Amino acid sequence: MKRLSLASTLAVAAMALPAGPLLAAPFTCPSRGGDIVFGQEANVNSLDQHTSSTISTRNIAMNMYESLMTRDENNRPILELAESMEESGDGLTYTFRLRRGITFHNGKPMTSADVAASFNRYNRIGLQRSTLDNVAGWDTPDPHTFVIRMKQVQPTFIEALSSFSVPIVIIPSEHENDERQQLRTVGTGPFRLMEFVPGSHARLGRFEGYQPNTAFEQRTGFGGYRVACVDTVTFRIVTEASARVAGLETGALQAVEDVPTRSLEGLRRNSAITILPLQNWWIQIALPNTAIPPTNNLAFRRAVQAALGMEDIMDAATDGNFRLNVGFQYPNQPSYTDAGKETYNINDQARARALLRESGYRNEPITILTNRDYPPMYNSALVMQQQLRAIGINASLRVVDWPTSVQMSQRVNSDEWHFFHTGWGTQPALGALATMQFLVAPNAAYHPRDDRDDPDVLAAWNAMNNERSPEARQAAFATMQRLVLERAYAFPFGALTKVQAVRSNVQGFVPFRIPRFSNVWIQR
Amino acid sequence: MSEAADAEGIAYKREHPARAALRRLFHHRLFVTGLILFGIIAGIAAAAPWIAGVDPQRLSMRNKFLPPGETWLFGTDNFGRSLWSRVVWGAQLSMVIGASVVALNAVFGTLIGAAAGYFRRLDNALMRVNDALMAFPAILLAIAVTSVLGPSTLNVILALSIVYIPRTARIVRSSVIVLREMEYVQAAVAAGAGHWRILRHHILPNAMAPMIVQLSFLFAYAVLSEATLSFLGVGAVPPTPTWGNIMAEGRDFMREAPWIITIPGVALMITVMGLNLLGDGLRDVLDPRLRIQQ
Amino acid sequence: MIGVAARRSLSAIPVLLIVSLISFGLMRLIPGDPAAAIAGVAATPAQIEQLRRDLGLDQPFHMQLLEYYGGLARGDLGRSLLLGKGVFAATMERLPVTIGLSLYALVFTLLIGIASGIVAALRQNSIIDQAAMMFAMIGISVPNFFLGLLMIILFAVHLGWLPSGGYVPFSQDPAGWLASTTMPAFSLALLQAGLLARITRSSMLEVLRQDYIRTARAKGLPQRQVILKHALANALIPIVTVVGIIVSLLLSGAVVTEALFSLPGMGQLLTQAVLSRDYPMVQGGLLLVTTFLVLVNITVDVLYALLDPRVRYE
Repeated sequence: MKRLSLASTLAVAAMALPAGPLLAAPFTCPSRGGDIVFGQEANVNSLDQHTSSTISTRNIAMNMYESLMTRDENNRPILELAESMEESGDGLTYTFRLRRGITFHNGKPMTSADVAASFNRYNRIGLQRSTLDNVAGWDTPDPHTFVIRMKQVQPTFIEALSSFSVPIVIIPSEHENDERQQLRTVGTGPFRLMEFVPGSHARLGRFEGYQPNTAFEQRTGFGGYRVACVDTVTFRIVTEASARVAGLETGALQAVEDVPTRSLEGLRRNSAITILPLQNWWIQIALPNTAIPPTNNLAFRRAVQAALGMEDIMDAATDGNFRLNVGFQYPNQPSYTDAGKETYNINDQARARALLRESGYRNEPITILTNRDYPPMYNSALVMQQQLRAIGINASLRVVDWPTSVQMSQRVNSDEWHFFHTGWGTQPALGALATMQFLVAPNAAYHPRDDRDDPDVLAAWNAMNNERSPEARQAAFATMQRLVLERAYAFPFGALTKVQAVRSNVQGFVPFRIPRFSNVWIQR
Repeated sequence: MSEAADAEGIAYKREHPARAALRRLFHHRLFVTGLILFGIIAGIAAAAPWIAGVDPQRLSMRNKFLPPGETWLFGTDNFGRSLWSRVVWGAQLSMVIGASVVALNAVFGTLIGAAAGYFRRLDNALMRVNDALMAFPAILLAIAVTSVLGPSTLNVILALSIVYIPRTARIVRSSVIVLREMEYVQAAVAAGAGHWRILRHHILPNAMAPMIVQLSFLFAYAVLSEATLSFLGVGAVPPTPTWGNIMAEGRDFMREAPWIITIPGVALMITVMGLNLLGDGLRDVLDPRLRIQQ
Repeated sequence: MIGVAARRSLSAIPVLLIVSLISFGLMRLIPGDPAAAIAGVAATPAQIEQLRRDLGLDQPFHMQLLEYYGGLARGDLGRSLLLGKGVFAATMERLPVTIGLSLYALVFTLLIGIASGIVAALRQNSIIDQAAMMFAMIGISVPNFFLGLLMIILFAVHLGWLPSGGYVPFSQDPAGWLASTTMPAFSLALLQAGLLARITRSSMLEVLRQDYIRTARAKGLPQRQVILKHALANALIPIVTVVGIIVSLLLSGAVVTEALFSLPGMGQLLTQAVLSRDYPMVQGGLLLVTTFLVLVNITVDVLYALLDPRVRYE
């Protein structure tokens, strides 16, 4: 926290964030050159980081784009293209001093005009432009200063601004009017785009004009001191898991994501391959429809809660790569709490049956809504169905595709389903605030009748947002988590691990929410 | 089917063609081979409730990925479900789907084809719609239709019927057009017979042969297409044990547990080959003229 | 011959009109939210809601239909929701992959199919004939995705000879293209090769029985000349018809093959478009593909007329 003391609190009234002189030596590449081919699971349709929320886009784009602020390895907000950020005493203006000597991949120096243009485009078509709802406007008093003026104080603004969900990446001003999904790919990052063939691959090359952020010595999270050591990185779309593994073994691929557990044994024995599990990739979860009977009945939901055995569910969902996890944050996060842990992994059929009798359940058919596009969701639903049947619930699966399941699940007062299976990935990683927004209207994930919040849950949420002290806000989060779990408004099963793997001569690759290829080198 | 057709008013043929055809069929080597292959799968399908053993949907996480062996004849899958049970029930589903598509085609293909071929006024409109449906790449149309109807076994049957009925109708239509101009039909028209009577007694029975041949191949296509749709994830809803579903689920494990995809794959191949051989035999015997065009 | 082409082209117009109507209607009936599909699993409900408004998915049905045909009249196929670019541009990007794959598969089909068909016909009822026909039977009975999987297991996973997926453009690296498309092309070709072998055989047998072949043989012409010049030339007529059918089968088969081998072709584009409810892409893409298929059929009819003079007088 030596340079940016935002901590997890963000409650600091005014902050000056000077880049102090550096004492230790920053990262240098042990060796330069070489090419890396990364086997990516999901297709990429566009590299427009302003308008795309997909993980596959972020995987590639975040190696090429940078923002004013981003998140470090522990998910704390850090500065990236700005050297300092100052919040005024009244909390109504944020002043960013931009780093000097930054150029875009097209050779143009970056100024505040480009930042303003990026905010203009984002405000016009950016997918998460609600981030700017409380923003009155922005000014560029000089080429190296960018000022954001707020309509009203929003203590959580910096947390939202630094979010990597759909980040406000900085683009050259001449691209301000590029249409949705049509952004020309020019950023300031360590890699630039050489070739993009949708459905096939994207090739990135080292950007020779890149200026590492000297406020840091090492890469951290999405930012930090970044250097492109390799000449090129090719993201190749390889949808078949077996094909990714085979490619890694033959050396056609140097790095892959999402290695199936079944292949791990063989790969571990192979000294040419390093396996890198990325823990806490997402929270596997099922959500009840509390608008209709019998899932509107707390006793019934508690019966379900008592029946669930998380080991079996997570084992099936992930084929063995998981960690049991209480609630909506992960233990490595400062916001983690195990509040409500008595509700987790009860796995007690007798108790479940007793609760079921108490609920007055009369063998009504129960529909578990899931999809086959995301195998963990399908697999966990299959095991949940079996566990519910074991206590005498007449549960059946309804398998549709992902877009249909989302549409069905979001219909207010829908009577088509009782439990909806999904996974929460990006938001839990972004923090408690980003995650718990799922549990309030509009679209509260437990689907209360008429989308009307449970007042206690809503009160906890408001406290999470408005309490002055960070401790009080954390306590409010713990309360909210406990309420949600005790009232069985959500059934988080556990944390899914996504296994990445590289050839052993690929060094410096640390699993993260995107595959980062800066500060990664090939050992000769 | 051919017996029923022949039994009705085929006065112009000399002997018992049905019996003759059957005798020739059973001396046809390919037909008999096909009959045996298809018979094995159909028999397994029919006997599924008795020979499958455990519930094909029963999960047993402790027994996952067991290779074929004594306790688990075909091994187990990633949920520890018995592959034998799943493949056997899959055979039944394939047969049900294939037979249903064939039945729907027999009814609606004949109706549409006969209407288009016999009533000239209807011909143009019906055939343009027919051409349009046939112009789509078959699998894409099936994917779109199952997406509209939602994934289920019934909807797969409907989708495949929508894809294949135009093809059947076209074959029936061309037979009907030829037959309509035959002298004996014209004679019946001159004698004042009604359209329905002419169609029923003079035209359709004689259009049966190419139709039967087409339907046997259609059975093969239907089984194959259902597996393809399920494999692509738009067919019967998992965990329904269709062969395509089993193969789709086994795809991620084909390195370590290749039996999950190979066993249903081979079963699928045997079925399709049996049906193709049957169709070849039927064609040779029933409709020698088609030998070249097919 | 020009008459044939003109007549066939005219009759294609209503067909394409119905095709466009069917694909428009089908897509509107599909449940599921394009915004949810495009936003992906990481999106929040708020982001999905935002996207839904951005995409203009709230217009009434008849307005969308009017807009669609208005666009078609101007030669505008619309803009893909998923890719953000024009349907025509997106199709042109992907079409070369599918055409390359289909042509490569067609080469396999013709080589295997015609060669084994001729050999089988010349040695009728011999072991070679039976082996060839057995092979053809297997060819038409193996599902192409199953064959593809078996080939991946053998050649990619166990032997490591060929990549199991991915695509290298021909213009970039012809050898890489060959490596990336050989398995898909072969698995795609086998079914059609089986069909073609059977047809070539029976059509050759038919021709070989004709008087003029006997005469040619009696005259003492060399066997090779008899077969290539006289027999094959006449056997070609039904074969050309079948090749027309084969082209459309290849395009249809490419849907599955491209999915299996992750090739960025038309099949993948349209399948993904259906699954992600990319209405304009499906409508426009299907219209383009069916137009292409109709054109192929017209070409076949014209070729047929060229090869067989009798057709002209019909």
